Amino acid sequence: MRAVVFDGVGRVRVDVVSDPVVEEPGDAVLRLTCAAICGSDLHFFHGKAPMSPGEGIGHEAVGVVEEVGDAVTRFAPGDRVVVAFDIVCGACWFCERGQTQLCEDFRNLGAGAFGGGLAGAQAERLRVPVADVNLLGIPHGVTDEAAVFVGDVLTTGWYAASIAGIGPQDTVAVVGVGPVGYCTVQAALTRGPRQVLALDRDPARLALAAAAGAVPIDVTARHPVTAVAEVTGGRGADIVIEAVGHPDAFDTAADVARRGATVVVVGMYTGETVSMQLGVWWARAIDLRFSGVCPVHAWWEGAMAELEAGRLDPMPLVSHRLPLAQAAHGYDLFDRREATKVLLVP
Amino acid sequence: MVAFPTDAWFQALIALIGDSASYREAAANWEGDIAFLIEAEPDRGLPQDAWGRLDLWHGECRGGGVVTPERGRAAAYVIRAPYSRWKEVVTGDLDPIKGMMQGKLKVEGDLPTIVREVRAASELVELTQQIRTEFPDEA
Repeated sequence: MRAVVFDGVGRVRVDVVSDPVVEEPGDAVLRLTCAAICGSDLHFFHGKAPMSPGEGIGHEAVGVVEEVGDAVTRFAPGDRVVVAFDIVCGACWFCERGQTQLCEDFRNLGAGAFGGGLAGAQAERLRVPVADVNLLGIPHGVTDEAAVFVGDVLTTGWYAASIAGIGPQDTVAVVGVGPVGYCTVQAALTRGPRQVLALDRDPARLALAAAAGAVPIDVTARHPVTAVAEVTGGRGADIVIEAVGHPDAFDTAADVARRGATVVVVGMYTGETVSMQLGVWWARAIDLRFSGVCPVHAWWEGAMAELEAGRLDPMPLVSHRLPLAQAAHGYDLFDRREATKVLLVP
Repeated sequence: MVAFPTDAWFQALIALIGDSASYREAAANWEGDIAFLIEAEPDRGLPQDAWGRLDLWHGECRGGGVVTPERGRAAAYVIRAPYSRWKEVVTGDLDPIKGMMQGKLKVEGDLPTIVREVRAASELVELTQQIRTEFPDEA
């Protein structure tokens, strides 16, 4: 079969690799119908996270079950399913409590040794371990292209907005409205806050967020602190969700938060550092919450229900649909920010 | 009128510091230069960041003015905020010590040392108010 593999920093290629097979009783093998390029794939693409040439990449995919192991009870060949981007055991202390991102056997699809050596999901076929836990059925009314978002970014946005504790009088500031930030904006709006502010420097992303109902703030034209202060009586935002994963975004999130605010950091970090005056954070009574990786298994049924009901709609994010063979072009477009979301069709 | 945040504005402040007996007394124990990063607000007439620096030493100002970012970052203390916040400080609408503790003015350097100098900070702010300041968003 064909699969997208890492080809060195800044490069991917499509290779012919071995077809996956059921290796463990809990496995399912899928024929994939749609995959997507995620912002966190770029961490590997840029060499910020370790990956060796030839290793499969990608973790957002939907498909049809082709084969299951003997221990799989919830799925059968022919079922349409979305794959969780993080692969967990479903049985450990953390998984039982819905904190699947802290699973004792946590793995990531398409993340090289860093993710436990699993194959990538930008491929024609995929083996999914512990399928009963790591797959979710797709309702008839939801398309494959929409469902692919439930395995990662849509549910991540839903999770971020949920743990932020948004109330009806709150001003929510979302720092960075790439795919996760955009989904966070939509999820925040379902909670009925007073307003959702979308902070970014990219006009296309701001336009999408505005169309979804957020108030766009172009941080290249306006100082974010001043812009947020203007619409919050000078106080700052009640809830801030940082959806970038860069120290500058973290600083912005802290700066636009009011005293006593909740700041949720859902953007992904690896080795970055920041300098903080702890006394100031303490005096400001900031409730700082690092989301970690989204425990998608605990939240994706809710996100799927919102998607099916039409209250969440990730499709405006899709800027490109490319055949799998053009994955390298898709990565280049996404890396240059000429694409908001690239779908790959195997 | 002197435009803020220009070198002429900082020189006017330095001259006022030199003439102020009350600042000299209030800041008698202060040692260390302070850089002020006035962050750009293009929509308010400040298209680029501006850096100012005051070399404050035992109640005197030994020099300063608008400096390069490199020179500013080398100061013992760096205080940064958007232009609008600095305007609030200069007009007396934001107490700088409260502003630092509330995170409205961000401090790089030993925060307890600088917030102990409440009187010196207050004297400095009063001196800035003696300058007939022209703000870029009012020009």
